[in-house]
Amino acid sequence: MANDAQNGLAATARRIGGVAVLAVRAALRTRTVGALLALLAACVLVLPGVVKGDGTPEGELHILLTYTLGFAFGILCLATLWAACALFAAEIDSARMQLSAVKPVRAAEFWAGKWLALLALNGVALLAVYAGVYAQVRWRMHRDGWEAVEQPVSRRVAHPLLPTPRQEARETLDELRARNELPHGYSERTILRVLEEKAHEKYTEIPPGRQQAWRFRLSRPLRTSETVTVRLRFETEYNTRAQVTGICRLGCVETARAVEVPLDDFTLKEIEFAVDARAFGQAPEAGLRTFELSFEHTGDAQHAPGLLLRFRKDVALLTPGGSFWMNLLRAAAVHGSVLALLAAFGLTLSVCFSLPVAAFVATVLLVLTMVGNSVVQVVSEEDAKKWSNRAGVLVSRTVHGATRHALQAEPLAALTNGERLDAGMLRASVGWNALLLPLLLAAAGCAVLRRRELADAE
Amino acid sequence: MTRAATRRREGNVPESKQPVIETRGLRKVFRDFWRRPTVEAVKGLDLTVNDGEVFGLLGPNGSGKSTTIKMLLGLLRPTAGLVRVLGAAPDDTRAKARIGYLPEVSHLHPFLTPRETLMYYASLFGMPRKEAVRRTHELLVMVDLEHAADRAVGGFSKGMARRVGLAQALVNAPDLLILDEPTSGLDPIGSREVKDLVRALAQGGVSVLMTSHLLADVEDVCDRVAILERGALRAEGMIADLLRQPDAVRFEVEGLDEPAAAAVRAELEAHTGRRVRQEYPAMSLERYFLQVVAQDGRQRTFALAPFLGTAPADTERLTPNSQLPIPNS
Repeated sequence: MANDAQNGLAATARRIGGVAVLAVRAALRTRTVGALLALLAACVLVLPGVVKGDGTPEGELHILLTYTLGFAFGILCLATLWAACALFAAEIDSARMQLSAVKPVRAAEFWAGKWLALLALNGVALLAVYAGVYAQVRWRMHRDGWEAVEQPVSRRVAHPLLPTPRQEARETLDELRARNELPHGYSERTILRVLEEKAHEKYTEIPPGRQQAWRFRLSRPLRTSETVTVRLRFETEYNTRAQVTGICRLGCVETARAVEVPLDDFTLKEIEFAVDARAFGQAPEAGLRTFELSFEHTGDAQHAPGLLLRFRKDVALLTPGGSFWMNLLRAAAVHGSVLALLAAFGLTLSVCFSLPVAAFVATVLLVLTMVGNSVVQVVSEEDAKKWSNRAGVLVSRTVHGATRHALQAEPLAALTNGERLDAGMLRASVGWNALLLPLLLAAAGCAVLRRRELADAE
Repeated sequence: MTRAATRRREGNVPESKQPVIETRGLRKVFRDFWRRPTVEAVKGLDLTVNDGEVFGLLGPNGSGKSTTIKMLLGLLRPTAGLVRVLGAAPDDTRAKARIGYLPEVSHLHPFLTPRETLMYYASLFGMPRKEAVRRTHELLVMVDLEHAADRAVGGFSKGMARRVGLAQALVNAPDLLILDEPTSGLDPIGSREVKDLVRALAQGGVSVLMTSHLLADVEDVCDRVAILERGALRAEGMIADLLRQPDAVRFEVEGLDEPAAAAVRAELEAHTGRRVRQEYPAMSLERYFLQVVAQDGRQRTFALAPFLGTAPADTERLTPNSQLPIPNS
């Protein structure tokens, strides 16, 4: 019995392998792959030389990590989606699927074989692109002598301990209900959703003369040999680069020691400063873990603008978090998972439609995914109620809702900011994009493939 | 080797007449995009193909032959009726594992070589690599494509592509072989080889369902035929029964001179009271062509021996030593 099961599994693996090898051969023996590789090579090798930075190491890094990786990933996204759309559709249209479909292969085995082939091709292409970018970063840093000034880093990010957006939205809703100020014509569910969306992006003002404090708990204790970096990003009332003065105070709860850093005339919208952990005194056995940061706006009450901050995003403590190249690998894993999702999506469409229709639907949905977030943010509830907007808003919200979790991780922003992609985010991205959603799409695709007629009247 | 073939060769099991293909009231209506019916391709077809039989499905273009085959293979869904293939529904993978199929157009992947093509289809049967390699080699030898085994199929002639198609249909040593116009695109030698192969496979216990426009091909190899016209079954039976002319008797005699022939004819006319027709039989053009080609040393035969274990007893092999017929003056 066990032997039979093993033979069954082995036979299944051979069938899936056969389908995958065919798809890889089909890809490698066409000119499309050559063109794709040329485009990717141009992205990695030529683009950083063409796009001019601001002359700083940060600018160069930004170009390499954002533009180069962004373009290459964009090309891979489109190539994956369209290739996936072609895999079933072209075989069915050319009647080649007939010869395979009369063999004892289950729909799921066909689907898995083709998906794994796309995964393998994408994996190789993605690793080549990332390796190229890493080599470029190293080479440029060495060539321009920036190694001593700026090193690409990977840092853990700790945000302030605040109620979750959902909790905050519930509290606001309760307050509105208590004051009898709930907007008319909307369900509480809709109001809660809008409040939650707003909580993510909510700006709080720190006017001159006021002080704001936040508490942090690090995911890993800070060692005395390390440094902790404070980062504040803000907008001003008039969205100008105003001159602002203030005092930052960072204290460690465990040692009850604090460090005060005066900030004078800073005109940028982002402040970063590092503090040596030794400044907080002798660390207890458990290490330094809980910190309090306060910012006092010391500007002139008459003339200085108030500072606008999104506490959940703009205030952070950064601590060392592994090497840059490991972070690059994590980013590649996130990108790989998105490509796995696109491959699954394209494959399922290609089971349902002919190649042109599948490619069109896939492209439209990709664009909707990209703009869906903006539409959801921009369109007010009143506008959404207008009959002319209803269909568009409904589609945008549906696409946004379906893809929100899938596209939550932003690996390029994290790389550029020197932030470590945390394990939770990585697990969520891979689990959601490369396992759960492909499984659902595969189930749908296989159901269609089993029911679909693979021949016509000819 | 197939189970049926093994069974037959061992000779200890009587030939069974279990149906390998059975359709009852099979109907297929094609519809357009808006689900409106456009054509009824098959109209209530009742068909039975028995184990070990070579069955021919005949009919003019558009008679529903290919549609019927595609429904048997699960590529099309019947609008109504019952289909059983090897005792199972057409989409049953256990039944599919015992079927070989050659479509009217081979539909091969042009970027693959014959070797890769056969390895691919072997993998779809879950065949272990070692066995797949051995089987691929055997089939390449059988269809005489060993010399072109590593050239892309896209550059092949129609006949060569057909041979690859035929080889893939045999990759799993099927119990049931479904051939849609198997001799289409083949030269007379290739056609003859395919027909030899079909007969040999049938002798080995493989059931065969084939369609062809070439009635002579069907007549050469099939035990039973069904004739379809506009989707409906018009005639079905053993070829010998269908073609027999009960009123006529034909004698063939060698070495009879003209006066003796005249005397025999007069005797027969006197006996029957009817006029007797006297002919000097000629061989078919196909047979003459094959003998000429064989005389030129261009003989090709499917190397069936390793595939079937023994060469078929009644397969006529053409050799360069075959005698050219003396034209009858």
